[in-house]
Amino acid sequence: MPENFRSVSAVWVGLVCLLFYSRLVRVGAAPICTNGQAGCHILSLADLFDRVIQHSARMHGISSDLHSEFEQYFFPSKNHIGRVNRICHTSTILTPNGKENAQRLAREELTEVILKLLVAWRDPLWHFQQSIAHHHDFNNFSSNKALEMSDMVHELRKGVEKVAEKMQMLGIISNSVNSLTSPEALIPSDRAEWRLMKDYVLLYCFRRDSNKVQNYLKILKCRIIPQHEC
Amino acid sequence: MRRAVGSVPLLLMLFFIGHAKETRYSPPGKPKLTSCRSPEKETFTCWWEPGSDGGLPTTYALYYRKENSDAVYECPDYHTAGENSCFFNKNDTSIWVNYNITVVATNALGSNFSDPVDVDVVYIVQPHTPENVTVTVMEDKDGPFLRVSWEPPRKADTRSGWITLIYELRVKLEGEEEWEEHRAGQQKMFNIFSLRSGGMYLVQVRCKPDHGFWSEWSSTTYIKVPDYFPRETSVWILIAVFSAFIFFILTWILNLKSNSVKHCLLPPVPGPKIKGFDKQLLKNGRSEEVFSALVVPGFPPTTSSDCEDLLVEYLEVYTPEEQELILEEGKDLQEGCLKSKGSPSDSDSGRGSCDSHTLLMEKCGEGEGKEEKHQERAQKGKRQQKHQTGWEEGDVSHTREDVLSPDMSEGRVKTWPSVFSPLPQYSSRPLDHQGSLETARQLCLSDSLFPPPSTSSHLSYNAKEGLALGSGQQEFYLGKKQTHPSNPQSQPRWHLQAHSDFNISSMDRKQAASGLQLPGFRSTEYVEVQRVNQEDMVILQPLFSSSCQRDGHLQIGQGEDYSKVKGVDSGNMLLLQREVEVKREEEDGDRYSCDIQDRVTESCYTTSTAASSQVTGKPTSCAGTAMPVQEEMVLAANGYVDQNITSVH
Repeated sequence: MPENFRSVSAVWVGLVCLLFYSRLVRVGAAPICTNGQAGCHILSLADLFDRVIQHSARMHGISSDLHSEFEQYFFPSKNHIGRVNRICHTSTILTPNGKENAQRLAREELTEVILKLLVAWRDPLWHFQQSIAHHHDFNNFSSNKALEMSDMVHELRKGVEKVAEKMQMLGIISNSVNSLTSPEALIPSDRAEWRLMKDYVLLYCFRRDSNKVQNYLKILKCRIIPQHEC
Repeated sequence: MRRAVGSVPLLLMLFFIGHAKETRYSPPGKPKLTSCRSPEKETFTCWWEPGSDGGLPTTYALYYRKENSDAVYECPDYHTAGENSCFFNKNDTSIWVNYNITVVATNALGSNFSDPVDVDVVYIVQPHTPENVTVTVMEDKDGPFLRVSWEPPRKADTRSGWITLIYELRVKLEGEEEWEEHRAGQQKMFNIFSLRSGGMYLVQVRCKPDHGFWSEWSSTTYIKVPDYFPRETSVWILIAVFSAFIFFILTWILNLKSNSVKHCLLPPVPGPKIKGFDKQLLKNGRSEEVFSALVVPGFPPTTSSDCEDLLVEYLEVYTPEEQELILEEGKDLQEGCLKSKGSPSDSDSGRGSCDSHTLLMEKCGEGEGKEEKHQERAQKGKRQQKHQTGWEEGDVSHTREDVLSPDMSEGRVKTWPSVFSPLPQYSSRPLDHQGSLETARQLCLSDSLFPPPSTSSHLSYNAKEGLALGSGQQEFYLGKKQTHPSNPQSQPRWHLQAHSDFNISSMDRKQAASGLQLPGFRSTEYVEVQRVNQEDMVILQPLFSSSCQRDGHLQIGQGEDYSKVKGVDSGNMLLLQREVEVKREEEDGDRYSCDIQDRVTESCYTTSTAASSQVTGKPTSCAGTAMPVQEEMVLAANGYVDQNITSVH
């Protein structure tokens, strides 16, 4: 009798599992709006923006954490900080420093700035993560964060590129953005500079730039897709 | 001289004044920048704390340098934000730019620089409190709830996405100490549930940019919740009422049926039902008293009349053919007089056959109807005679054992009617057969045969071969038995009815006369109860040696008849009459009267109280000896006497 029960229960479990799996396979992918559907595009752009903004917010959070860690262990004295000449390698990129300035920029320019920043930080962060991994002063937690930060920049850039593509497809912005995707064109001569950057300065600079990216993305979103959330 | 003397006090005064100045005046102390804040990320203000002023009017100046630039700028606005503050307007504010700010305090004697502070406006944002905080009471199916709504601070530009604010609100009841805080995220509305009916609530809201400082709490908004009845409480009240109702009903039912419930849960423990048993005595621990109390005066019945009621005595007659007849249904007969009369209620105790309903027990007070009973008995006796004839034909031996039915061992005695039931079987006996048997002893059979070794005290006719006139002792086993209740004539007496005719031989001679006696009891004899043996058997002896001896005619071997029952007196005494045997011996009419009166007292049929039974024999008065046989028959017809048997021991 127990044997029968066991076999029956196994069969039932198998059936249930099959049912669930089939369901998952069917429903696994979120509904993707195909190109050409007007209503679907707008919604998807908003979702893309939201996702990108969330991404940038997380990136900025990680960079803030790492920067404060560095500040605690390596630069306890504020005076010492004051004397450090913080020159970020991205200072050559012209970014709006105010709300009016940011609002005065066109959408395409704003998008370009975002992309420029993200592109500029891909290599330095990767090297930074490499140096931290080999450095014994940092714990695993910091190295993991650095790695995550590096990946996030990469993902965020792809995301923003997708958003730009979407916008260009929708006709919101012109097609001039694509030409900026090449990393070589952005920072040709700064390679030596960011190699000399200390890790702390790097973190300081990146924290600020991630904030810029997040803020620009929000402005862009609220300008393109006006919602009550803005 | 005079001028030198006059300038001395002046010099002294100057010296003193100068001294005083030096002690009181000093360069200003070091100022300290306390904080810099930006309410909307477009302007910001810095505050400093002045040090000691050194006694001199001190001026403060704030200088700042922008990131990676050596140009030093001074604070554009010292007044907007109040004293010791510097306000940077929109034009002067650059976001994501590091400001290096320094405050300088200057007085007449010197100046002092504060420590420089690096400020990035993005990270010093602290918005104003949210505005237009409104709280309203809304109704819901579960009850009322609070809806709190607010607006972002006026200057914070959230619509363009420049600032993203998250909000937080807190609520508390009036009078409480602790607030209940809720994060509202970016929404500008919040619902508060689970309110206390009729309570006064306080609500406050504040906000914070995603990277910045929390604003101050907004001014308290008071809201009063109206009185309402919570649904949960009403449900609980309903449940409580219902349970109370059911509880009361159960209690009432329990009260009503308390007895049966008690009986069911705590079944009564059967106590000892021994007659005369006193629990209290036992508890007291005196066994002697207890056991003495058990001795009921009326128990076991000895010579009391109760025993007479209980006793039924039988006379066993052994007839081989009549074995079936004598078979007794027995059950009702088995019960002896174990119980004194008059104990009806106790079901547990052993009940004597005396009280059995199945057994008819007639008390002594029924002497009135005895006559009739006697007659009936006589009739029965007649019928019995037929049995006797059959019996006579058969084995006359006293080997009653053969005849004994299994019931015999129990000492059961048939009642008269039961005995007579099988009568028809024997009715076919030829008369002549009977007639021949007439000569045999006539025993008034009561019922069944009793085994000689049985413990029952019974009167059985022990007829031997040589019984006829030559027999010696004849033992009569009185069977005590209760008659069948259905027998109207049944008497609690032992049916001695020992109309045994020992004088078989004489009977033969008197066959003619005996033939007349066929229908009835032919002969009666005087029977003397000799003794009661250990088996409660009353041994009757033909009374020959008693008073009749004087006549000298009576001898043992003369085969006189003693089993003639004269009658039953009122004292339940079976009066046995000696037959006028003298007739046979002496036909000269010599007669005698025997004053032998047999009194056989009834003794309870019990094995345990054998000793108590006494059988005494008394001479019965002889009725007219010269009477014809018929008379005797008549007498015999009436001759059933309730005999009181008293033990001879």
